[in-house]
Amino acid sequence: MEEDEFFGEKTFQHYCAEFIKHSQQIGDGWEWRTSKDCSDGYMCKIHFQIKNGTVVSHPGTSAHVQTCLLMEEALELPLDDSEVTEAAAATEVIKYEYHVLYSCSYQVPVLYFRASFLDGRPLSLKDIWEGVHECYKMRLQQGPWDTITQQEHPILGQPFFVLHPCKTNEFMTPVLKNSRKINRNVNYITSWLSIVGPVVGLNLPLSYARAASQNE
Amino acid sequence: MRQEDISEIWFEHEGTPLKWHYPIGLLFDLLASSSALPWNITVHFKGFPEKDLLHCPSKDTIEAHFMSCVKEADALKHKSQVINEMQKKDHKQLWMGLHNDRFDQFWAINRKLMEYPAEESGFRYIPFRIYQTTTERPFIQKLFRPVATDGQLHTLGDLLKEVCPSVIAPEDGERKNQVMIHGIEPMLETPLQWLSEHLSYPDNFLHISIIPQPTD
Repeated sequence: MEEDEFFGEKTFQHYCAEFIKHSQQIGDGWEWRTSKDCSDGYMCKIHFQIKNGTVVSHPGTSAHVQTCLLMEEALELPLDDSEVTEAAAATEVIKYEYHVLYSCSYQVPVLYFRASFLDGRPLSLKDIWEGVHECYKMRLQQGPWDTITQQEHPILGQPFFVLHPCKTNEFMTPVLKNSRKINRNVNYITSWLSIVGPVVGLNLPLSYARAASQNE
Repeated sequence: MRQEDISEIWFEHEGTPLKWHYPIGLLFDLLASSSALPWNITVHFKGFPEKDLLHCPSKDTIEAHFMSCVKEADALKHKSQVINEMQKKDHKQLWMGLHNDRFDQFWAINRKLMEYPAEESGFRYIPFRIYQTTTERPFIQKLFRPVATDGQLHTLGDLLKEVCPSVIAPEDGERKNQVMIHGIEPMLETPLQWLSEHLSYPDNFLHISIIPQPTD
């Protein structure tokens, strides 16, 4: 089977491995998951956010420990009558799940994500949309191919939200061209994720970029 | 039922929620091919299975999904050149032709998606998805060329051998599975390029079902 055209699956896996190496160093929570009946896999990260917008994260801890710490914080709130409503509002914790998969059709990475409350209730597209920063909304609404839609996750078969991949080459080509010009090493995944991630609430610490330029 | 109790409609067959974004023929082949027609399915107005099914709030969702598949198929066949060269009205005509069951209207546009350069023997890659109910993964989709390096046309058998070898590995000479497209079993010697041009679904994909041999 043909590989490594512009950005083949092996190249994708290589950049993901480098990315995860750094994630482990700073405790950013990214993991690699493989599909049971195939050699392919994807990167996965879970983070929690209190609905009023404060991202709670505890660098250096696993996702499991993060959940426990979060619940502790949430439960510490006093529950006497006058404060019950406040407590309820403050304990609206949302679990965000981000998956980075490879699309062999477009030969680019694709960002899948979903969000749910801790009791399992999923967030709707409308809720997700509310979480998108104003400055990205206009751009997303311009083209049907630049928007967020619900799609079936190709490995898990469950509904996820997706940023359509067909324009990825368009914005990645200048990034890669420029890095070649100034002779600097770039991790495709790091660059790509730093562009698409913030649109859906996923931010990358700057140390990823420094790590990428140090790699051979 | 009271109006206020009715929420999103969904369909189910023997406990399995039916994915509306799959072609109906594919669903039938995969889940009920041994049933007599008409196929009896259950309609639900409550309890939408959020974890299993995509939401379908309007007809526009179906159109967007269909066009997304067509676009992906063309990315594989022609690096998206043919679909991108078309005008919006051509995309609309493709959808309306399908929606209104107008064969000539549909094929006026679709025939362009079935062409390939004179100097080639076929498409760049063949758009296909292989479905099995026995795996967790919803389908298998990989890059696969219609022509071998020596110029020989790849067959359906070649494809299966490459992407899911367990399907036709004859352990005792007897095949355990049926390989079905549109309710029929094409000969494994059939060239894949021919199948792609003539037996694709309206979304330009070959949706192939692997089902256990019926025991009668």
